[in-house]
Amino acid sequence: MMSATRILEGLGRFYIGLLLAFLYLPIVIMGLMSFNASPFYQLPFEWTTKWYEDLSRNTQLLAATWNSLEIAVITTVISTLLGTAASLALFRYEFRGKKFLQALLFPPIAIPWLITGTAMLIFFFGIGIGRGLHAILLGHVALALPYVIVVVSARLQTFAPELEEAARSLGANQWQVTMRVTLPWIMPGVIAGALFAFAVSFDQFVVSYFLSTPGQATLPVEIYAAIRKGFTPEINAVSTIIIAVSMGLMLITARFFRFGGEK
Amino acid sequence: MAGNIAAGPLSGIRPALPLLAPAYLWLTLAIFLPLSAMAFFSFMTDLPLSGKDWSFTIRNYAAFFSSGLYVTLLWSSLRLGLEVTLWCALIGFPAAYVLAKVLKGRSREAIFLLVILPFWSNGLVRIFSWAMVLREGGILDVVLNAILPFKISVDLMYSYPAVIIGLVHSYVPYMVLTCYLTLQAIDDSLIEAARSLGASRLQVLRRLIIPLAMPGLIAGAVLIFVPVVGSFMEPRILGGRTGTFYGTVIEDQFVAVFNWPLGAALSFILLAVVLVILAAASPVLRRAT
Amino acid sequence: MTRLIATLTATTVFASILVFAAQADEVHVLNWKGYGADEPWAVEAFEKATGNKVVNDFFNSEQEMLTKLRTNPGLYDVVMINAAFNDQAMSEKLIQPIDLSKIPNAADISPDKASSPMLNHDGKAYGVPWVWGLTALAINDKSFDTPPASISVMWDEARKGRVVIRDDAVEAIQFGAIATGQNINDIKDMDAVKAKLTSLMPQIRTFWSSENDWNQMVASNQIDVGTYWSGSADRAKTQFKLPVSLVIPQEGSVAWLDAFSIPVGSKNVAGAEAFINYMIDPKFYVEWVTKVGAPVSANEKAVAALPEESFNRKVMGDPEVAKRIQFQAPITDEQREKYLALWQELKVNVK
Repeated sequence: MMSATRILEGLGRFYIGLLLAFLYLPIVIMGLMSFNASPFYQLPFEWTTKWYEDLSRNTQLLAATWNSLEIAVITTVISTLLGTAASLALFRYEFRGKKFLQALLFPPIAIPWLITGTAMLIFFFGIGIGRGLHAILLGHVALALPYVIVVVSARLQTFAPELEEAARSLGANQWQVTMRVTLPWIMPGVIAGALFAFAVSFDQFVVSYFLSTPGQATLPVEIYAAIRKGFTPEINAVSTIIIAVSMGLMLITARFFRFGGEK
Repeated sequence: MAGNIAAGPLSGIRPALPLLAPAYLWLTLAIFLPLSAMAFFSFMTDLPLSGKDWSFTIRNYAAFFSSGLYVTLLWSSLRLGLEVTLWCALIGFPAAYVLAKVLKGRSREAIFLLVILPFWSNGLVRIFSWAMVLREGGILDVVLNAILPFKISVDLMYSYPAVIIGLVHSYVPYMVLTCYLTLQAIDDSLIEAARSLGASRLQVLRRLIIPLAMPGLIAGAVLIFVPVVGSFMEPRILGGRTGTFYGTVIEDQFVAVFNWPLGAALSFILLAVVLVILAAASPVLRRAT
Repeated sequence: MTRLIATLTATTVFASILVFAAQADEVHVLNWKGYGADEPWAVEAFEKATGNKVVNDFFNSEQEMLTKLRTNPGLYDVVMINAAFNDQAMSEKLIQPIDLSKIPNAADISPDKASSPMLNHDGKAYGVPWVWGLTALAINDKSFDTPPASISVMWDEARKGRVVIRDDAVEAIQFGAIATGQNINDIKDMDAVKAKLTSLMPQIRTFWSSENDWNQMVASNQIDVGTYWSGSADRAKTQFKLPVSLVIPQEGSVAWLDAFSIPVGSKNVAGAEAFINYMIDPKFYVEWVTKVGAPVSANEKAVAALPEESFNRKVMGDPEVAKRIQFQAPITDEQREKYLALWQELKVNVK
């Protein structure tokens, strides 16, 4: 009995290892190619740090990277707050039109970003919002919101409403119930939603492309402009740095904080 | 669909408004109103922006049915979406289970984060890296030939499987995460109780775990199926000559010929079809819960 | 409704003026990325010589370029437009007439290009020819002992699965026209083009869309032959040292002409004129060809300044080649949509 569990556990770990290998294969290649001399991913491998040196001089690419990080962080904060609030409301209250509100979350996910981006461009012009980082932020939060709401709602479904009721009957007000009972339970969902929001914004090309002005581009916009003629492994270099830094930050976070919803 | 078991004691929209309003107002300003404008354009012969005369028409919607082309493409895109979703579920659910129920302690948080991290790299750079793995003489080819005693030639680049691999790679983390969120919430004592009552592992999985994890599976499936149907970048780059899908022809209307009305009409047809599929699937899925 | 549109347009213009109030000594240039105008050494030399600051912006398709002009009135001072699109930009009032007397180097542009009806309307010049080039074939040197002479190499059974063509409806259809011996600007027998391209599909490895695609595929030795732009083939060889050679098949090639224009509402017309003058200057051109690789300059003196053996002078300047090439004329939106429909059908049915 015990040994069967052990074997299953071992298999489980092995399986996770395989999955991580699959997920990280292209990332590792991306990193390796940032140290390869050929700009066309040519083999045999020839070690160089040239692309990192080029990158350190490429102010345009670096500025775009900072823009992207800034926008992604702000987007994450806003969309996680608003999205979690909306998920709570959709979970807690019964009202007419709720199904409709939930269905409204699909168009932003289903309509290809190209169309959404074009629509935003025309509309923002029409009402005077124009283009620029503020417009990009407006668009990114809107794109990230449905993801946050869907993810947080999935977690909320495992929540027993009786818990809220019990807390209420013990005299807690709505705010206390939310902060002390509900939020701690859905925290893993909120964190996952935030990570999604960051990814949606950080990798968002189309909307940023339409809404950015020259000199205010984001990283994906720079990358897509580059592939037409001048794609160089500098892009791999900057991506590698981002991944390495975020991996470091994440592992530190995981080391010192518990958020997996351990009971 | 999110939140369909909602059984809160509270009713009426008034108390819900302060929580709902910020998110939905934001969505209205940045998505719903622009898309409504786009829906309006989809009934026009030309954009007012281009300085040409225009009038109202349903020509753009009729175009969808006028030749078998778009129907064929939409069909193959739906199939692609379904296949990618299935693969993601098959790969992602067991991983989420291990993460939620087998691994304990701090390594779990670390791995949870590691699963999302690849997301933060640029989609296009990832696809280029896949190209390097999949092509003839690429990483996969070299590694397999180094391991296997016989010589094989692996060239998956520019094929349907390459598209599937690229898309599954991009979307499988969604499934792992959403499944993890619901699996992790299942009380271990419930599983132990079922086991001590004589249920086999398989029975526990089928009767207890999968039904309880269903909301996560559904959320993951929706988050994967919906965008994959309209995807165009992975098919175009990895699919080669087999990479023409519904999403790529929409892209062409916007990028190559500036026919926004037709492109918009094609997208709204896509949206309608996806919503109908989700609506039709929801009773089935709810019964499964 | 008309009023709403009018209001929309007015707001758009107003908002753009507020947002994009450019400084007077800046020259905002709209061009393909990596296409001469954004070379760091060139920008630096120009800035030093004139005191203007260059701000580059890029587009990825002609349609996008037009959209950017439409939605950013007053932002750009110089725009690079394929001559076949000049007419459309002019009739939409996106570009203004150019005073050639302010651009000294314009006098050296070859007369046939300078007087091209595509760039001149009502006796006024709306574009200054910059460079021209071909959409011809390029080969992977490793796959051929002797370069092929005919376009039929694309259909060669032995090359199956190692042929590429650009994912662009107009280019593909015009390529089909050349392969069937037709005039690219007046295709009479579309069925022949369709049949010819249908038989090409099984040969295709993939459809390329950017220069980077082509170079990566040839670098990893995945392809033998495909359609390619002359300037890009030159750059692949010169700058990246890839085994690429351009072939101008005996059946002919599509040629295009790129020109600079000044958008309506430019706030720095003098700077724009100076920039255009610099771009067509022989000194810039020779440096561009030597360091990077480029298409053929429209300026006769610039081409003459190249070494005698250089490809752009020897091959592209060959009168025999000149007889084989056909310059792209403007295409109507209807034609373009028809071409796209045909191209999509071909791509779908290949499955």
